[in-house]
Amino acid sequence: MTASTIMPEARSASAALRRNFWRGVWRVMKRKPSRMVGVVIMAGFAFMGIFGPMLYPERLPRDTNALYAAPSWAHPFGTDFEGTDVLALVVTGARYVLLTGLVTAVITVVLGAGIGLFAGFRRGRWDTVLMRITDMKLTIPGLPLLLVLSTIWKFTSAIEMGLVLGLLGWGGVARAVRSQTLSLRERGFVEAARGLGLSTPHIIGRELLPSMAPYIAMNMLIAVTGAVYAQVGLFFLGVLPFEANNWGVMLNLAVFGGGALTTTAALPYLLAPLLAILLLTLGIVLVVDAMDEIFNPRLREE
Amino acid sequence: MITGKGITKTFRQRGSMLGAREVPALRGVDFSMEKGGAVSFIGESGCGKTTLGRILAGLESYDSGEIAIDGVPMSSLSHRQRQSHFRRIQLIHQDPYSALNPARTIHQTLDAPLTLRAKQTGRSRSWIDERAEELLGLVGLDPGYVLSRYPHQLSGGMRQRVVIARALTVDPDMLVADEATSMIDVSLRLGILALLKDLRDRLGVSVLFITHDVATARYIGLDGELYVIYRGQVVERGPVETVIADPVHPYTQSLLSAIPVLHGLEVPGAERVTPTEAIDPNRKDTGCLFAPRCPFRTDRCEAETPVLGHDGGTVQEHACFHPRRRSVVATPAVQA
Amino acid sequence: MPVTDKRAPGVRISDLSVVYRTGAGELPAVRGVDLELVPGTITGVVGESGSGKSTLALSMLNAVQPPGRIRSGSVDIDGLGDVVTLGGEDLRKTRGRHVGYVFQAAQNSLNPLKTIGKQLLDLGRSHEVDDLPGLVKEARSLLDRMGLDGARVLDSYQHELSGGMRQRVGIMLALVLNAHVVVLDEPTTALDMITQATILRIIREVHEERGLTTLVITHDLGVVAEIADRLAVMYGGRLVEQGPTREVLGAPRHPYTRGLLQAIPRLVGDIDEARALPGRPPTLGTIPPDGCVFRERCDVRMDVCETGEPPVLTIGPRIVACHTAAGEGEQKETVTTGPTRGEEQA
Repeated sequence: MTASTIMPEARSASAALRRNFWRGVWRVMKRKPSRMVGVVIMAGFAFMGIFGPMLYPERLPRDTNALYAAPSWAHPFGTDFEGTDVLALVVTGARYVLLTGLVTAVITVVLGAGIGLFAGFRRGRWDTVLMRITDMKLTIPGLPLLLVLSTIWKFTSAIEMGLVLGLLGWGGVARAVRSQTLSLRERGFVEAARGLGLSTPHIIGRELLPSMAPYIAMNMLIAVTGAVYAQVGLFFLGVLPFEANNWGVMLNLAVFGGGALTTTAALPYLLAPLLAILLLTLGIVLVVDAMDEIFNPRLREE
Repeated sequence: MITGKGITKTFRQRGSMLGAREVPALRGVDFSMEKGGAVSFIGESGCGKTTLGRILAGLESYDSGEIAIDGVPMSSLSHRQRQSHFRRIQLIHQDPYSALNPARTIHQTLDAPLTLRAKQTGRSRSWIDERAEELLGLVGLDPGYVLSRYPHQLSGGMRQRVVIARALTVDPDMLVADEATSMIDVSLRLGILALLKDLRDRLGVSVLFITHDVATARYIGLDGELYVIYRGQVVERGPVETVIADPVHPYTQSLLSAIPVLHGLEVPGAERVTPTEAIDPNRKDTGCLFAPRCPFRTDRCEAETPVLGHDGGTVQEHACFHPRRRSVVATPAVQA
Repeated sequence: MPVTDKRAPGVRISDLSVVYRTGAGELPAVRGVDLELVPGTITGVVGESGSGKSTLALSMLNAVQPPGRIRSGSVDIDGLGDVVTLGGEDLRKTRGRHVGYVFQAAQNSLNPLKTIGKQLLDLGRSHEVDDLPGLVKEARSLLDRMGLDGARVLDSYQHELSGGMRQRVGIMLALVLNAHVVVLDEPTTALDMITQATILRIIREVHEERGLTTLVITHDLGVVAEIADRLAVMYGGRLVEQGPTREVLGAPRHPYTRGLLQAIPRLVGDIDEARALPGRPPTLGTIPPDGCVFRERCDVRMDVCETGEPPVLTIGPRIVACHTAAGEGEQKETVTTGPTRGEEQA
């Protein structure tokens, strides 16, 4: 057998691999139009979150002549009780909501996957201890705890909010990742890696993690929606300080202040943030559909 | 040279509420393997042959006994040192589909152990890629075709070759091939067997072949030894050709009799032995373990426990009170 | 020798083509297969992965699952007609009543949550058996016949039975409704040598006692050699050779059969006689659409193999589809050409 091809440098080889990966991702996304719609929606929200507040002045202008104005060209979703444009509120409010979601998702996944992988791979005593902690965490009711916490902590920054939600949310992921790890570690390739003397970080990071990537990525996206619901719920209940441009606060004011449930005047004010949440969830659900194909080379390449 | 003495292993199954059930997998097995030699373990599933292979590859612990690699007893070493010794014995899994990480290319699969190897031996980055190509060439694959591919893009035979190449990255002394061809297409099996045979010749690597297929064991190690294992015990052991042509233990004879005869090409052996069916593994373990299934058992077999020896002047060792040669293997038909 | 029984029906598979829908269009998994199961015989179909042997077996029940479909041909069973044209309730009743099927890995296809007896009763009810006690009695006697304690097995759950016992339960379930055509897909995979020998003996004995027409699908020439009266070799969706087992094994005519036999290590003789077949078996996507499907691995390949469909030669009781066999000539009785592509109607 002659080896006529010259192996490219390792670095360019891995670069080529990355290129192939993204080309594969593109292929997977193109397979269904719904996925592209999902990507566009998510990109739109990302744009809103990053640049939204820059499009408007620090203090949003109020049009005191038009309180609870009906939708018009000037105000597509009408105005609120102070005459502020509802669309502007939604756009500027996106950053807090999305940042919280992102932070929550990262913490949920990093903690959940980390603890799950470690417990499942080490087994034995570590497993027992970590899973007991997880179980204990799972029994803590999230909402009441948040209500209690909010009396002493005002969650002024999105990162703080996300931190708390993330610390409350990793249990389920940890349990699921652990059980997947337990079954994967019996697989031939993991055993072979151990037999070859490869390091534990290599085995966990390079052998186990990629096999669970679709699952973890899915959980991450779903955690975003979970976090959005949770915080909007908290603001809606009014347990957190009012901040005018927050989706939850908007809902609260529309219902309790504007009486959106009984009169039509504040209805656009109520529907705008709801629509935003719905759209975000839809975008995430549409993208989650592609995760299996993205991380499975067989489904990706075909 | 790898030797083992009195290796035992018992699995504890967490079963009923009444507590753990103990399942003995190995009941004191002795073995020795020469450098570059070939040894085959044959027996039914659950006889302990796989467990022994996994113990040798360092993937399983053993309860008692002593394994020595090149005269160094493993019990005298720390866990870390022991691991590095066992690393010289590499396991080839039965299932080439699960033995390779589906999310990693062949290049990545070989790169990781070679990087480790390069670090240990102080070699450069370029050596790794050269070595990967060299190993793939050695197992009969075209590196240019294989390296950038994912496992699902290769056939079962090619995957098994990649698995062998990966095992060779650590320059092992011995390959443990556990049913390494049973999941591969019939027309490709011989290629894998021939490769293992070839590696013995070219690299001087010894092969421990674990199988229920006696003919493949014979193909790999005609010059080697055959161990027949029944319920965690070696019941017959000797040169491959002797054990196949002149088996004396009724269990060996039963195994050989069960091999399908290619009627038209072969004539079945005259004294084929049919044992009674596999028995309940929970029963008592006194006397010869095979006695309950043995068509030739006597009262002595029920009461006493036979030990491995040359009783009756046989070439091979056996553990039977009533050794008798029987012609059970099919012979080639005389072509008309 | 086969016992011809009045009850044993004959089966004629003719010009059967099964295609699977893929990204690259509809690809044939089975193409133009003609196979006759003589009443009261065991026919063994041997093939590697991707040879189409399991698809062929499923066609016997008209049970090819989408994305696959039977594109053309017929499976004609005596007293039943063409299975391919059956549908709905008729088809469901055929399965089990007329054609018994022991699935690949039957050891693992039992319901772990129900006793064997319960599963038997489910089977009886779904086939509207009036005499359920009679069914149980029949099942028990079948199991007893196969060397098991029938009553105990019916009270057992799947996990309480060994692989060999489960395989026998699978055979019992296929026969208990009194089917006389039986299809066994890889009946001994994952079984030990001694268990395999026992199961093969039982299949042979039950086959003769009950007067069955049996089709055994396997990748293992040894299994076929032990029990089959006739042997059919499949490769790349085509039947390349068939004939009485002993004759085919003793003097194979198709280069693939020859190569396969040579690739099996033997217990006696020179080990260097064993020779590997070059190349690898084709998959659905790599089966050449024209010419001989085996040519890429063939050691007696000729130019004509690239383009010409191999002629199907009937030589006494044997049938072989190969260009080289056509040259031997002198014994041949009839020559028919295989179906050419595009000829089959949808």
